[in-house]
Amino acid sequence: MADMGANVANWSDLFYGIYPYSWANLGIAFALGFSIVGAAWGIFVTGTSLVGAAVKAPRIKSKNLVSIIFCEAVAIYGVIIAIILSGKMKNPGQLQAADYDKALFAGFAVFWTGISVGLSNLVCGVCVGVTGAGCALADAQTPSTFVKLLVIEIFGSALGLFGVIVGIIQAGGASNFPVANA
Amino acid sequence: MAAVVATGADAFFGYFGVSAALVFANVGAAYGTARSGIGIGAISILKPELIMRSIVPVVMAGILGIYGMIVSVILCQKITYDNYSRYTGISHLTAGLCCGLSSLASGYAIGIVGDYGVRANSQQPRIFVGMILMLIFAEAIGLYGLIVSLILSSS
Repeated sequence: MADMGANVANWSDLFYGIYPYSWANLGIAFALGFSIVGAAWGIFVTGTSLVGAAVKAPRIKSKNLVSIIFCEAVAIYGVIIAIILSGKMKNPGQLQAADYDKALFAGFAVFWTGISVGLSNLVCGVCVGVTGAGCALADAQTPSTFVKLLVIEIFGSALGLFGVIVGIIQAGGASNFPVANA
Repeated sequence: MAAVVATGADAFFGYFGVSAALVFANVGAAYGTARSGIGIGAISILKPELIMRSIVPVVMAGILGIYGMIVSVILCQKITYDNYSRYTGISHLTAGLCCGLSSLASGYAIGIVGDYGVRANSQQPRIFVGMILMLIFAEAIGLYGLIVSLILSSS
């Protein structure tokens, strides 16, 4: 398909002319990258409040590491999906014209799976981080509240799980990739 | 004009709809959870006995994430390589955006009402029923988006 991009005349030709595996790889990068951004954002939001509150109440630091671990789990979701998605892609060698349309379908499936998972985990990480910060500050003053505020963080981390579930279903479209013939 | 076989390119719009439903709904749910969570963290210091009653906005925000997941999964099952057209792709995109954007807005409303509502409830317990009513109205607008997107995805 050396000249797929040569006759671009409108938007659909533009979508059609981009190599399908580049869409797919971009999706994998987004799945991992945005998830890690969300996890990192949550960790620093929680971490700053944790260390600030621990100045006057150092007993909270071990228990509230659980909030940090909830944020880390978001990054793990991204890693899992990225590995699953990259396992669905095989090197086609020379992509045949007959396979191009199916490969494009599969490439879009993987791309949007990456966006779904990545952006869901991004907002989930921020949510868990903000809630964890509140939990650390409240725990420093009233220790009995820790477990109940943890319930809110569990609701928050469920959002990342929704992303993983939808991502795995959405990645089913990647079965349209042609099998390796090189 | 290049000879275009529509199916592959139209999956772009269909899967965009799947992602839009999930991601926007999750943004709304995350905002609702985090914003209400801040309020609950604030009241828990002096009134820890009120925490379990005040978790209602968090649960309602989480439901918005489930709306987005429902629409995403329904749309995903309909996107197949055979028998897919530009028309179907764009209508799936619309369905996804309907659910996602309304859940986003609903999540913002639930978050802000929940934040101020739980803080006020900690000072005046009679406010609780009023706060619940406001949260129900805010949740209903997200439900409208779910209903419309289910209608769009089935036609």
